[in-house]
Amino acid sequence: MTELDERRGTTSPAAGDRWFEDFAVGQRWTSPPRPVTADDLADFTRISGDDHPLHAGPDAVLQGPFGVAVAMGLLQRLGIHGDAVLGLLDTHWAYRRPVRVGDVLTLEVTIVRCRRTSSGDRGVVTRHMRLLDEGETVQEGTTTALLRARGAGPDPVVRAFGTVPWAEALAARADLAEDLASWDGTVGLRCEDDEVHLRVYRGRVIEVTRRAPRGATFTLGADAATWLEIVEAPENPFMRLAMAGRFTVTGDGYEYLRLTAALHRLVDAAREIA
Amino acid sequence: MRADYLTIGGGLAFVEQHGDPDAPPVLCLHTAGQSGVQWRHAAPALAARGHRVVVPDLPGHGRSEPAPGGPVTDLGAYAAWCLELVAHLGLRRPAVVGCSIGGKIALDVAVRASEQLAAVVAMAADAHTGGRPSVRGLRRELSDVAAPSRGDRTYLGTLAVVGRDVPRERAELIATMHRREDPAVSTSDLIGWATHDLREQLPRVTCPTHLVVGDDDLWLDVARVRAAAALVPGGRCTVLAGIGHYPMEELPDAAAAIDGWLTEMTTVREAS
Repeated sequence: MTELDERRGTTSPAAGDRWFEDFAVGQRWTSPPRPVTADDLADFTRISGDDHPLHAGPDAVLQGPFGVAVAMGLLQRLGIHGDAVLGLLDTHWAYRRPVRVGDVLTLEVTIVRCRRTSSGDRGVVTRHMRLLDEGETVQEGTTTALLRARGAGPDPVVRAFGTVPWAEALAARADLAEDLASWDGTVGLRCEDDEVHLRVYRGRVIEVTRRAPRGATFTLGADAATWLEIVEAPENPFMRLAMAGRFTVTGDGYEYLRLTAALHRLVDAAREIA
Repeated sequence: MRADYLTIGGGLAFVEQHGDPDAPPVLCLHTAGQSGVQWRHAAPALAARGHRVVVPDLPGHGRSEPAPGGPVTDLGAYAAWCLELVAHLGLRRPAVVGCSIGGKIALDVAVRASEQLAAVVAMAADAHTGGRPSVRGLRRELSDVAAPSRGDRTYLGTLAVVGRDVPRERAELIATMHRREDPAVSTSDLIGWATHDLREQLPRVTCPTHLVVGDDDLWLDVARVRAAAALVPGGRCTVLAGIGHYPMEELPDAAAAIDGWLTEMTTVREAS
């Protein structure tokens, strides 16, 4: 089974134990359907002790964390995690729509971030997880697991959004000479907590660094799932996402607007290298 | 085609007319900051289908002189201007077809003068944007000091709202031509777009009304367009798959689509 097959979601649930190196940003899996039953409601209410009237009666809404619990169970049944998993590091979750008895939930898992730890023998893998009922997202978020690594790297950089090696690949690919011929400043690009600065002088990227001495002129930030969407969308989605408010921009807003075409070009480069 | 400079609203207005002067008239309104050139393919094709097509450049746009009071931020002022144009040309029971601010102006014309109209097709318009885009941000954009890279942003921003089914070359042509706008005028138009609220008035509309929206139109929420159509007695709503904010330039045969909607509405009216 090649990585490409996995990206198409055709991998078998019995693919066996996966180490850190076996995960790649953009891999996807979908779980079988999982109906929500009256027993689920009763059991979860008993376990949580949350007997708020919202969670009783014919129109009862299951407690939000029920969705997280189900998502983790569906993830486990995908068979992609075995003995290499050392633990769960975090869960960031949003409740979009109520879950009720009779819903049929499926889980979509996308790998959005893989980073080796500084010790080198382990890595963290962030999974974007979306629970759906009849095609509508009911809950979604990310969970991060710590895994054993097989070797010591190096790891792929082309989807390591917000890192120095990734930005170096971007800078090598994007020709900013014309767009930024009159510009002197620093473009910050951020994915979740990973931020990288491209120091630009007269159309040339003169340094790629975690932090430029005077900071970024502005920083364009997005979550890992959005960066993945950026590189996988059929057309360059920079303006569409900007207009939809999917980016967080900090710093000099005027310079951010001024560099619209350059950012569009950088996104082109990010898509080309990915 | 003939083109005239007519004195409307205290300034010279550039107005194209296509087709048989005795045919049923249809007034075609362009989008924010743009001009009647957006109708360059649809207008003659509509004329060939038996309409008298009137395409004005709104004041401050295209080849029309600026509005005497400066850039317009009230779409109601454009609606009044359109009715003055209708009276000036002596158009009898015109249909009004508009897109974006043109669509909302068409709805406003219907609010003001339903009894004079055969039908309205409002494309890419709703009754109330819910405050999008931010008027505060738009007012800031009125100053060049706060509005850099206007050409790039107009070009790429237009490309982003053209539908996925539109061939790349046509999408790029639409976006390239959009850069011709006067930023002060188009930003003022957008202030008008974001502040004009027709929710209370639409129930008074009595002419047949059809709202049309592309499902790739980032400027519009389909649910809001449906809600606006539901406010108009007998109002219809059509969602165009793969089309964005400029149906008259994006649809493979916009004139056929518009002619179909107009025929459907005027036939229904005559039958009832």
